[in-house]
Amino acid sequence: MRTRAAVSAALASAGILIAGWQSGVHVADTGSSVASAAAGTTGATGSSGSSGTSSSSGTSDSTASSGASGAGTTGASAKAVGTYPGSVVQTRFGSVQVQITVQAGKITDVTALQLTDAERKSVQISNRAAPLLRDEVLQAQSADVQTISGATVTSDAYLNSLQAALDAANL
Amino acid sequence: MNTQLLTNRPGIRRSSGGAVNPFRAQYRRRLLRADLLTVLFCASLAGAVALWLADGGMAGFATPAGSFTALGIVAGLAGMDLVLLMLLLAARIPLIDQTVGHDRALEFHRKLGKPALYLLLAHGVLIAIGYGMAEGLDPVSESVALWVLVPDMWLAYISMLLFIAVVVTSLVAVRRRFPYEFWYAVHLLTYAAVLTSLPHQFSVGALFAEGTWQRWYWLALCIATGAALLYYRVVQPVVATFRHQLTVKRVVRVAPGVVSIEMSGLRLDELAGSGGRFFIWRFLAPGLWWHPHPFSLSAEPVHFDAAGQGTLRITVRNLGKGSSQLASLKPGTKVAVEGPYGLFSTSARSRNHVVMVGAGIGITPVRALLESTPFQPGNATVILRGHSESELYLGEEILDLCRRRGATLFHLTGSRPAGVQTWLPEHAARAGHRLASYDPKIADADVYVCGPSVWAHNVLEDARAAGVREDQIHYERFDW
Repeated sequence: MRTRAAVSAALASAGILIAGWQSGVHVADTGSSVASAAAGTTGATGSSGSSGTSSSSGTSDSTASSGASGAGTTGASAKAVGTYPGSVVQTRFGSVQVQITVQAGKITDVTALQLTDAERKSVQISNRAAPLLRDEVLQAQSADVQTISGATVTSDAYLNSLQAALDAANL
Repeated sequence: MNTQLLTNRPGIRRSSGGAVNPFRAQYRRRLLRADLLTVLFCASLAGAVALWLADGGMAGFATPAGSFTALGIVAGLAGMDLVLLMLLLAARIPLIDQTVGHDRALEFHRKLGKPALYLLLAHGVLIAIGYGMAEGLDPVSESVALWVLVPDMWLAYISMLLFIAVVVTSLVAVRRRFPYEFWYAVHLLTYAAVLTSLPHQFSVGALFAEGTWQRWYWLALCIATGAALLYYRVVQPVVATFRHQLTVKRVVRVAPGVVSIEMSGLRLDELAGSGGRFFIWRFLAPGLWWHPHPFSLSAEPVHFDAAGQGTLRITVRNLGKGSSQLASLKPGTKVAVEGPYGLFSTSARSRNHVVMVGAGIGITPVRALLESTPFQPGNATVILRGHSESELYLGEEILDLCRRRGATLFHLTGSRPAGVQTWLPEHAARAGHRLASYDPKIADADVYVCGPSVWAHNVLEDARAAGVREDQIHYERFDW
């Protein structure tokens, strides 16, 4: 009888673990494609920038390459209109870097060159937090905005990188 | 359920020969339930790890930092799962109680304490290392950063400290025999520890992000555990207390320092008719009401009329501060009741033959069992152990019952021989007696043991040596 318990417990546990592992392999594939897709879009929207962004310390290859492709498309324009990349901020969930577009001394756009993408959850958080942060920043015209609850790490890194960009733009 | 069937069926006692075993069916059902619980236990641990696997957790092992983090996450999941299982084991859920018994569930609960703590500690340390490596920080700075920067993490740190406090003081309390009240108060901290650990699991834990099925699974697990605790440990006792309206009828002195307390109440057939014989009592008198007293019934069957009105009896020895006050209980005192719990009853029977061994105040549940459990004359042995004849509480009632029902009775009195591990008094130990000397058929019997834990431990060793298997042993712990 005890053997019956041991055997069925072992079988059930093994079954559960294998099922989890199998679906995990599947998720890891789609998960990483989501992550690279997210990173890719941020890179693509960032390509409107002018000054060559050297996203050197990119976490994934896709981010680095898309960042590079976005670099140096437009020539150096007047001070009135310009894009300024912020510093790359390392977090435990991945690197964060933003770029601002400045027109006549006003921030007209904030784009994320890199966002936390270490895990699937981080990608979700980034995708949720980035638009909110962008809106807040555009409204406040500074890095002095509320962090997004549930995305504190991403928000802090985002705003740090933003502050560096603002400093570079002398705003 | 089974008990009632068996005790009320008159044919059983008259059935001839030892070949028919009326307990076989309930025994097999109980074993099936036990196996099922074992499977559920292992499956829940596997499930916790599978949550992480299904989230693609294995990908974390691509980097050294990720490996530390991944191991930390697994440790945290397994640790929390163990904590939830510990809570369920202590929740007095009928399925668990009627399968392994109240005390064995708690014994397992105690055994899980240290592994759970080690897993949770490993969780904290590994995550600090893993996150620190990802950020280029040493684990200590990373821990500080987590505390300061990440919301809900400060609660998790408090939770960790509380868990350490609970496990360490529990271990110390058991070893040094702290009063029950101290142990009880410390255990209330567990709820604080679990509650403070919850926020970071759902807000920081990547696994339980909004919209994942893992989040729902974990939430369901936590809520179910909380609901079981709330229902079986709070709601049910309160309902039972109001439903049965127990009041102290009289307090009778049995021996020096030993009293029997008789209580009257309503619908006692529902309360005492369901197998378990062990209740937790609170006497609602000034200075006593907050103190829970775990005692078994000492008389059986419980007398009640057609309306379910009648009396219950417990017999109590002056064990602690709370127990000594019980002697001065006034008739009319209201009593709150939790239970019934335990397997020290007919529902644990698996064989025709039965051996009951009781020592000191542990004799009183034996008295109740002897009165109610079915056996044919000659198929039961009762062994009572005490320092002197006067410590064989309810001895005359038991003698009378043994005569009426045809059970063999042994009185073993005298002090233990010095320096020898034995449950027997000196003269019997010197004569080389074993448990099997008192009942040669013990290997094919249900063995019920109730008494102080060291003594009982020696009885159980003796029983195992005589070939009694683990599932034939029914042992009720008496001290905490």
